[in-house]
Amino acid sequence: MFLFNYRYRLKCIFRDRQLMFWTFLFPVLLATLFNLAFSNLSSSDNFLKVNVAVVQNEELDQNPAFTEAINGADDLFIVQYTTRETADALLKDNQIDGYILFDSELNLVVNQSGLNQTIIREFLDDFVQSSATIVTIITTNPTALDSGILAGVSSRTEYLTAVSASQSNPDPVVNYFYALIAMTCLYGGFLGVKEVVAIQADLSAVGARINLAPTNKLTVFLSSMLAATTIQLLELLILLAFLIGVLGISFGDQIGYIALTCVAGSLTGVTFGACIGSIIKKGEGLKIGILIGSTMIMSFLAGMMSADMKYLVMTKAPILGYLNPANLITNSFYALYYYNTHTQFFTDILLLCGFTLLFSTVTYLVIRRQKYASL
Amino acid sequence: MVINVKNLVKRYGDLIALDHFNLEVQEGEILGLLGPNGSGKTTAINCILSLLKYDKGTIEIYDQPMSPDAYDIKRNIGVVMQNVAVFDELTVYENIDYFCGLYVADKQTRKKLVAEAIDFVGLNDFTKFYPKKLSGGLLRRLNIACGIAHKPKLIILDEPTVAVDPQSRNNILEGILELNRQGATIIYTSHYMEEVEQIASRIAIMDKGKIIAMGTNEELKMMIKSGEHINLELLNPEHLDLTEIQALPHIISAEVTDHQLVVKSSRGKNNLIAILDHLKDQNITIGKIYSEPPTLNDVFLEITGKELRD
Repeated sequence: MFLFNYRYRLKCIFRDRQLMFWTFLFPVLLATLFNLAFSNLSSSDNFLKVNVAVVQNEELDQNPAFTEAINGADDLFIVQYTTRETADALLKDNQIDGYILFDSELNLVVNQSGLNQTIIREFLDDFVQSSATIVTIITTNPTALDSGILAGVSSRTEYLTAVSASQSNPDPVVNYFYALIAMTCLYGGFLGVKEVVAIQADLSAVGARINLAPTNKLTVFLSSMLAATTIQLLELLILLAFLIGVLGISFGDQIGYIALTCVAGSLTGVTFGACIGSIIKKGEGLKIGILIGSTMIMSFLAGMMSADMKYLVMTKAPILGYLNPANLITNSFYALYYYNTHTQFFTDILLLCGFTLLFSTVTYLVIRRQKYASL
Repeated sequence: MVINVKNLVKRYGDLIALDHFNLEVQEGEILGLLGPNGSGKTTAINCILSLLKYDKGTIEIYDQPMSPDAYDIKRNIGVVMQNVAVFDELTVYENIDYFCGLYVADKQTRKKLVAEAIDFVGLNDFTKFYPKKLSGGLLRRLNIACGIAHKPKLIILDEPTVAVDPQSRNNILEGILELNRQGATIIYTSHYMEEVEQIASRIAIMDKGKIIAMGTNEELKMMIKSGEHINLELLNPEHLDLTEIQALPHIISAEVTDHQLVVKSSRGKNNLIAILDHLKDQNITIGKIYSEPPTLNDVFLEITGKELRD
């Protein structure tokens, strides 16, 4: 009976086009839209080199040290050597951020102030300062040159070291996709609602027919839930493959733990729907409405619409974060991607298992009765 | 005895849906269960099937107490619900196979039973159709096939012909009679008196949660006050003295409308002869004459009253 019902439930779910749209196609479409919307978000944070022109004249030719210094700063500047007239024209057309002119002293010509202009000025100040130091050493203590003091003047030492707490570089975009997966897991609730409605005599005519048959209701229910979870997991795996393979979203390399998160999330989603389906006695439309509404609120609080919301919840009301299955699923992926330990990950997974147990118990207590007060 | 229900009481708050309901169904009979809307027919059936809780009473099926876990009893029952109960995502064949599979585990046996059920309801050309593609009549036939495919000994049909065209309805009724001929005991509820009159070997009339009359078609007709309806076409009704006819023995009422004299008589013999003699005395010329025995509809209305329900 278990396998017989399981096979037919798989067929029923697969052929329910509306259900397949919301639980599978909708997340894929949303992921594609996210990718289009966020594709420029990371690149906007990248440093763009400063365009600078250097006026070529006799003074410049007499200062090869400057030419060497600015050419050496190729990670900062895109340098072009030109005449003053051309430099003026380039500046006027905003094709360069400023130009450097050697005459009696080193001059910077700009037509506006901003970050790029400040970078050029800082570079020039540094050059002037280093040059003055070297000149002072040569005039006051030429013997010091023998001890290699010049190397010390021109070298730069970082006294602060950045130590990353994570194994990956922070990426604000991935959290949106983690929240999307969390939403997809909870959309498994649609399947849970469908399965409960299908076996409850007071919720559907087919449910009444099933209750009239000489079959154990719990067996039918468990095989129906297994069918729902199977399809939910398949949908999630395809979504993950799409995110990783097509959209290039990074989930780290801990495939086993990622799969575990998907299983725990799917179970939570399906049992959440079953719980709503069993405790709300009104029409299926109301059940679906409540499911969508609660899922969207949970996804919102988990940062699907704004990453700041997740941060806000975790700082202002952390308990809300732990009571939100969508947030727990998001956190699990986040922990796998960023943290070097699994403490946070297993805490989230355990909490998800707790929610699954809670939803399953409530559902069982409601559907276990075999006679109804009214139909 | 197939079904034995004693003193069944079911309340919905203050409303008494079943008021010490009693019912006995013998093997091989077709019991027609009639009653106005809200009389408790479906509630009684749902209680008998152990779908609904009840407050008091006992229910035995095949001399065994009925309960949700009484799988041996349930295996022998087939139910055709009032609402079509099929999965939209499964084809005609798959629906019948699924519901038959809840009773019959063996695949080969099930295959044979499903084929027979499809043949029985005449859905051979529609096995790969999804329910949404079927007409109302075909859908009702699918509903029946899902309920009887496992060859039950007791079949309960709760208004299976609602919203079905006359051709399909006739087909369904013939099918029910065939099932009965094959040995099934049948309980049939309907609003259509002529259907029940056509197929039921015994009829129970329910009202206000209890059975208020039960018997064969003829027995029920004997229970009511009104007997035959006599219709006479009068060519010169202006000479008629109606009070003399109304005063005749066994006459309940007599009315003339458009040359048509309609006389309702109670039980009694020679009512028509007495009326004809009287008309002859009054020199009334008669055209056509016909007499109708009381119908089940008359029985139903007289027993349950003519006030509107629902």
